[in-house]
Amino acid sequence: MNTHDDDHGHAAATAQDDPPPGYYEIMETAVRELLVEKEVIGGGEIRQMLEVMDTRTPALGSKIVARAWVDPEFRARLLANGRATLEELGIDFFEDTQLIVLENTDKVHNVIVCTLCSCYPREILGLPPDWYKLKPYRARAVKEPRAVLAEFGTVIPDGVEIRVSDSTAIVRYLVLPQRPEGTENFSEEELASLVTRDAMIGVVRANTPEKKEKSR
Amino acid sequence: MSEGSGRVLKPLPNVVKAEGAEPIFKAGDEVTISVRFPVGHYRVPTYIRGKRGRVEAVIEPPAINNEDEGFGRNAGVKRHYYRIAIPLTELWPKYAGSKNDGLRIEVFETWLERN
Amino acid sequence: MSQTEDLVKRLPTEMGGLDAGPIQRTEHEYAPWEKRCHALANILDIHKIISTEEKRRGVESLGAEMVGKLTYYERWIVAFANILFQKAILTPEELAKKMDEVAARHPAVQHNE
Repeated sequence: MNTHDDDHGHAAATAQDDPPPGYYEIMETAVRELLVEKEVIGGGEIRQMLEVMDTRTPALGSKIVARAWVDPEFRARLLANGRATLEELGIDFFEDTQLIVLENTDKVHNVIVCTLCSCYPREILGLPPDWYKLKPYRARAVKEPRAVLAEFGTVIPDGVEIRVSDSTAIVRYLVLPQRPEGTENFSEEELASLVTRDAMIGVVRANTPEKKEKSR
Repeated sequence: MSEGSGRVLKPLPNVVKAEGAEPIFKAGDEVTISVRFPVGHYRVPTYIRGKRGRVEAVIEPPAINNEDEGFGRNAGVKRHYYRIAIPLTELWPKYAGSKNDGLRIEVFETWLERN
Repeated sequence: MSQTEDLVKRLPTEMGGLDAGPIQRTEHEYAPWEKRCHALANILDIHKIISTEEKRRGVESLGAEMVGKLTYYERWIVAFANILFQKAILTPEELAKKMDEVAARHPAVQHNE
């Protein structure tokens, strides 16, 4: 797999075996090569950016959530200023993008969506799943969040308020799920393993220890 | 922002702020989302226009109007976005969930009117 | 009153509140070119050549049919090409010629007449 082609796109040795590039891949390659040739962008910049992107995965988000569960001071700082706190951990953000961490409690359940495009906390979670970017989720999450959550197997009692955050501009959101019962003696690493990407979008809760056992 | 000092500096008198630098609204203000139909680019979804909500927070830092930014403007007067809370019952007449369920959405200052 | 106003007033990318069916839990492994396209978007933003907002507007202006039929990164790369032409950073001719050159590197690529 040529995940990290050099920026001239030469996949010389394996060209015969790779499937032919499609129309849009050809366009992407051509645009990139022209921009490098014209020195509009630097020759190694795409490769470097791919390496940055590879380190942003849900595992990163899970670690942040686990730390917030065990460290009340970290949690408070994260909720007060998400971006500033995460920058201290070495996670940088582009331009003026802000990050608001939304805390789920016994009274409030948060879920995030982007009805206009696909805004998502990529600096932490990496690239979003397809369903997050497609019409059914984006159309219905703001109109019938309880039905949407039920499709993910999540039932929120009527007494709990649902807050749907629609990202439209400079803020990105990350849901801080509730810490499951029965995890008092878990290490930070064990706690992180209970936190899925979907829990940080808000469509499911964090896994309980029993649920995680069953899924092994 | 220094964590340790705990001392807040007071603004100097007679220093006038730049246009747009001071937020017009504050948390708790009751507002209505404007109704208009920009051609070509907008970030205020149709479904919230004309609806009433409450300012939950001022978002920092102030920013260029994203309608202009979409067409290449990258400098000029900056204004604030605000996180607005709107009940889902206000948005959808037939909303069947809890009456406490709500939307949170960032809206640019030029789209907000004080109730 | 024009019957086409709604096409202009409502962007083809705006989805909030529309009627829609069940959520298909599709996930796909991002192809290398898609990741490169995303990396390109970030680089163009950092260089202040195409901001995130310009990219959004560029995708919106593809119009309803392309927005509906092209996949996510296909929309991005076509939008980038258009914006780069508008900014006179690339020309349509040089991109077309470079695309032919790239296509010719792979023996099996079909050339459209």
